[in-house]
Amino acid sequence: MIYLYDGSFEGLLTAIFEAYYRKENPEKILRNKALQQTLFEEYIHIPTDEIKADKVYDSIRSKISHQALQHAYYTYLSDFEDAGTWIYRYLQLGWKMGHKVDYHLADDRVLTVHNTSRKVFGESHLLLGLVRFKKLSSDLFYAPIEPAHNIVSLIAPHFSSRLADQNWIIHDVKRNMAALYNKVEWVITELDANPNLTVDEEEQAYQGLWKQYFESIAIRSRVNPDLQKRHMPRRYWKYLTEKQML
Amino acid sequence: MELQKKIEILSAAAKYDVSCSSSGSSRKNKPGGVGNGHLSGICHSWSEDGRCISLLKILLTNDCIYNCAYCVNRSTNDIPRTALTPDEVADLTINFYRRNYIEGLFLSSAVYKTPDYTMELILGVIKKLREEYRFNGYIHVKAIPGADMKLISAAGAYADRMSVNIELPSSQGLRLLAPQKNKESIIKPMGLIRSGIQAKREERKLFRGAGSFVPAGQSTQLIVGATPDHDLNILKLSEGLYHRFNLKRVYYSAYVPVTTGPNLPAIVKPPLLREHRLYQADWLLRFYGFKADELLNDAHSDFDTELDPKSDWALRNLHLFPVEINRVDYSLLLRIPGVGVRSAQKIVAARRIGPLSYDNLKKMGIVLKRARYFITCQGKYYGEKSMNEHIVRYGLISGKPEIQDSTPQWEQISIFPLLPQLPPPEVRLATLTGEL
Repeated sequence: MIYLYDGSFEGLLTAIFEAYYRKENPEKILRNKALQQTLFEEYIHIPTDEIKADKVYDSIRSKISHQALQHAYYTYLSDFEDAGTWIYRYLQLGWKMGHKVDYHLADDRVLTVHNTSRKVFGESHLLLGLVRFKKLSSDLFYAPIEPAHNIVSLIAPHFSSRLADQNWIIHDVKRNMAALYNKVEWVITELDANPNLTVDEEEQAYQGLWKQYFESIAIRSRVNPDLQKRHMPRRYWKYLTEKQML
Repeated sequence: MELQKKIEILSAAAKYDVSCSSSGSSRKNKPGGVGNGHLSGICHSWSEDGRCISLLKILLTNDCIYNCAYCVNRSTNDIPRTALTPDEVADLTINFYRRNYIEGLFLSSAVYKTPDYTMELILGVIKKLREEYRFNGYIHVKAIPGADMKLISAAGAYADRMSVNIELPSSQGLRLLAPQKNKESIIKPMGLIRSGIQAKREERKLFRGAGSFVPAGQSTQLIVGATPDHDLNILKLSEGLYHRFNLKRVYYSAYVPVTTGPNLPAIVKPPLLREHRLYQADWLLRFYGFKADELLNDAHSDFDTELDPKSDWALRNLHLFPVEINRVDYSLLLRIPGVGVRSAQKIVAARRIGPLSYDNLKKMGIVLKRARYFITCQGKYYGEKSMNEHIVRYGLISGKPEIQDSTPQWEQISIFPLLPQLPPPEVRLATLTGEL
């Protein structure tokens, strides 16, 4: 038996709620888009229900721990196909063990969730540094990103307190969504790829200066491209100003 | 001069300052201002040499009155000299910051005219950045040795981190390579910054709005390989600095020959491995509870190039091992080669639930390549047959068990000695012409 949810975190929590109260113990919990159905499985669509989701949310916080809730949420953001199933198994153990669930580091259920949540946290931290804004002519700073995990909502608060006096957009091109900030608050909205952009006239100059800086700060006798790639994998270079040809 | 050219010269001149971290400050943004500190620091890029770029690291000017032999900016070196105006620095910092290229500014300078004059210039720039440009991001500035103490304290009120570079680990080295500097002029500002930080901490206990003074602490840098100092001296010096001046970091910089001189060593490649070993040892001092004396001693005053300092220590203290992973206390857990802080914490957490087996450790992602020679899991040892120093050492270096007597018993014979030797050309010519 496989549960399907709409792809939202609330949807996933509703599915977990139903799994518990229907006593069905589904084999997997998957998001229902882009799913190849097989003949011999039974699929059950779970409609998202805010009240049920809230109950599960509160229960994780009070009966397991805040930590566990964070692990579950980060794992959900990983966008891995099996993330829902992993979270379900992890929380099942969690409700049995209470806050001690996070000590079961040799248990596969805990291990997968911890590792996944660390990956997501790691990428979100890396992106805090690697996001590159371009100043547009409309007094707006625009940054496209293509992260492996769905981390826009994790990095937006950082920029809203840091770049508090400028309008900015962080656009997840891969997922067609964006965080928008208007000097007051930030929101997540859908945004299609390739919006038409005209950059500010001084933008080229600062990009040039940054590339110059990037070039001359390296010590020639210590060049080590492998080390550079280990810290800053190739897949992030696409939007890095300093890695674009002059 | 064009700004682009200035950046090229002044950042290239600043690149030998290895400090790059932007951690330790959680300065808040103010309404209408731009920027804040991030406690753990953020790397924004990595340059071609693999070092992280976190701050806009730049000199205010490279025009220097000093003539330190190791330094690219020394007064007798024939290079183009230039300087940035305070507005240029501030504008660059703000615009880079708004595009998220950098975490803040690292401002250093060659000593222009006098130390006081230079320090005043630096102070002017950071004051402008904080007050006019309302910049609340990270600022790291150099305290110029020999500058007036008042100027240094004034800069401390605007900066997040300050540093004074010791550069040469001994007074002899200083006399030889930087005769115009002396130990006192370096140590004095360090002491001042330390007491400033302490005083501000006390003050903030009484009154929260007391402002800040170098909240991210101070750091310094030592050049490795320009003088004949041993690793032991360098590590002892760092240990002293951590204890006496509460330094946040000591950076080690492998000496890169930017110039030649009679007092400088002639080296082709910077001693990167030695620098790496010193960093490893530095971490052992700060996070693993080691003391410099434990890692090195007079008989053993340099690090092993083949083994990391912790493995090296463990090999010399084999009587302490193997330890039972399920029982040993945290401080000794940290001393097992290959086990870091994260692994040790994981082990301590996981063993509260039940005994850990070797496979459990593997699954948890504990690196056992080195650790297996020094631990038992539920009483079982997973290294080679015995804990002989020779065997363990071989295993640590090669990563595989030793084959008895590894020197080859055979020899590859070259084919060329077997061929008949050709007569030299003049003999051949002689046989042709008949003039034997």
